[in-house]
Amino acid sequence: MKRYAYYQSCINESMTKEVDRSIELWQHDLDIEMVKMHESACCGGSNLDYVSPKHFALVNGRNIAIAEKQGLDLVVSCNTCLMTIRSAKKKLDESADLRNEVNEILRKEGLEYRGTSQVRHLLWVLIDDVGLDVIRKKVKNPLSKMRIAPFYGCHILRPSTVLGKDNPLEPTSLDLLLNALGGKSIPYEHKNRCCGFHTLLVAEEESLNVAAEALQEAMEAKADCIVTPCPLCHTVLDGYQGKALKQNGLKGSIPVLHLSEVVGLALGYSERQLGVKRHIVTV
Amino acid sequence: MSDSTIQHHEERRDVTFRVHRFNPQVDSKPYFDDYTIKLERGITVLRAINYIKEHVDSTLTFRAFCQAGICGSCAMRINNMSKLACTTQVWDELEKAREPGVIKIEPLRNLPHIKDLVVEMDPLVGKMQKYSNWVDSKMPESNWGKKEFLVSEEEFLAYDKATDCILCASCVSECTILRAHKEYVSPAVLLKSYRMNVDSRDSMHDKRLADLVQDHGVWDCTHCYRCQETCVKNIPIMDAIHGIREDAIERRGTKDTSGARHAEAFMEDIEKKGKLVEATLPIRTNGLAWTMKNLLPMAVKMVIKRRTPPPPPLVKASKGIDALRKEFREMTSHVGKDHEKKSGE
Repeated sequence: MKRYAYYQSCINESMTKEVDRSIELWQHDLDIEMVKMHESACCGGSNLDYVSPKHFALVNGRNIAIAEKQGLDLVVSCNTCLMTIRSAKKKLDESADLRNEVNEILRKEGLEYRGTSQVRHLLWVLIDDVGLDVIRKKVKNPLSKMRIAPFYGCHILRPSTVLGKDNPLEPTSLDLLLNALGGKSIPYEHKNRCCGFHTLLVAEEESLNVAAEALQEAMEAKADCIVTPCPLCHTVLDGYQGKALKQNGLKGSIPVLHLSEVVGLALGYSERQLGVKRHIVTV
Repeated sequence: MSDSTIQHHEERRDVTFRVHRFNPQVDSKPYFDDYTIKLERGITVLRAINYIKEHVDSTLTFRAFCQAGICGSCAMRINNMSKLACTTQVWDELEKAREPGVIKIEPLRNLPHIKDLVVEMDPLVGKMQKYSNWVDSKMPESNWGKKEFLVSEEEFLAYDKATDCILCASCVSECTILRAHKEYVSPAVLLKSYRMNVDSRDSMHDKRLADLVQDHGVWDCTHCYRCQETCVKNIPIMDAIHGIREDAIERRGTKDTSGARHAEAFMEDIEKKGKLVEATLPIRTNGLAWTMKNLLPMAVKMVIKRRTPPPPPLVKASKGIDALRKEFREMTSHVGKDHEKKSGE
């Protein structure tokens, strides 16, 4: 069983609890174990980096150091946490001065940032460590007949200098996984675009216009549902769906599922077990 | 070997350019024309469409000038991404083509369309003016021509990369928020404002910053990083946007914009709990009245579905919060010393 230090994203502990709940259900089926990092701190959600670049390096250097102490890679299931922690890692790896300054403080807690643990998304672990062939074999309830609009979200793709896994213009990882689960991923332009989450509280009208366009395109492409690897994208596309569509004079609705939920569905767990019923737009 | 790999290795082949056409004087709506021409490897998209204009269809309209990636005139959307036609290889685009052998060419987005591949640049120029994006000299006019204005290497490095911008508007075309609201300042304008604001010769920093924090300004950026990914000069545009935000919080505090209050909340919560207190984030960002008006209907739905974030007293602090707080404060004292050092210079 391969183990990982599992970073608990703030949103998954409050609004989108179903993400961690579903991972807990199926992790052992895929021979992986997500060891929760109870001591980690909020990554700063792509805001702390400009509010205070040094606190940003400290907090995330500490997050990674906690995983390093356990000798495990740090795994996240929120795109923005992924991008934020990886960009802190990049800054720490590139600057010995910053690393020394952070380590001087962390040392008092018995921690040290060394740069030995990788920071990875759950989606990448499923593809690179578990492997699509193994996943295909474990599928009990293939998502056949399901036309899925994959919605990657920005921070698993961009900036590519920090993420670098998928081609940010033509990503394929989520499509490959969805197809391995027996579903049919459909092409549509918005799959690598933005959900609008990060301006929801600052420029709501703009954010909802962004979300509405993505939802509209997925519905026009006759998708049965949208699947996203990011709980922030989910919050906009599911929670704000009604408001976004109304603001743009659009009708209809489309369910939005977390990556962790579709994996669970394909592995034979029920919607109720996975928490799908807790969504605002229910199937 | 797949078909696309075979195509890629060919030295000479037929290539189809599916070009967006629209002449407002005669067309009621835009359409696409396909032009298939025989090309050799090594040809740029600009040379290909120049060939089409000269030999196939002289009515095809586009802008181009330097042919060397310097003037920025020939930006257009090639296979769904804004870039310069003159620095884009046809063979590279064939690899990305969704339909084998077909390269799609469209005008830039987010700017008014004039004809075929030509867009109106005036809105961009207008925003450059609105945000005073030029250096207004700090030196009294009486000294002009008599004294030198020395810029240290360190000062120059702060805006070195930003000066690489050739105003091609590729980032403008791909901007998420500009697409959602045409009043938005746009990435190229923010980049230029940043470049002006860190220039030690300039005197308009405060006015420019005051304009940038207004509605449709720097706080409306949604961090999608499309601008940076699109930039034909590989300029880290988001660093400039974050630079303006950092400067705005430092000089103006959080009083005048919801964006700054929202960002600052992360800092407070991490120090206090080690995690974000989401339940009060809308109130801290926009006040109680806004939250009640805008979020109450949704809060009701969320309560029914049991997905409301827990109230602050129920947000359990991270394990080891005492150590984190201590470390956080220690870093705060480092930052304080950095500021003293900076202002002492």
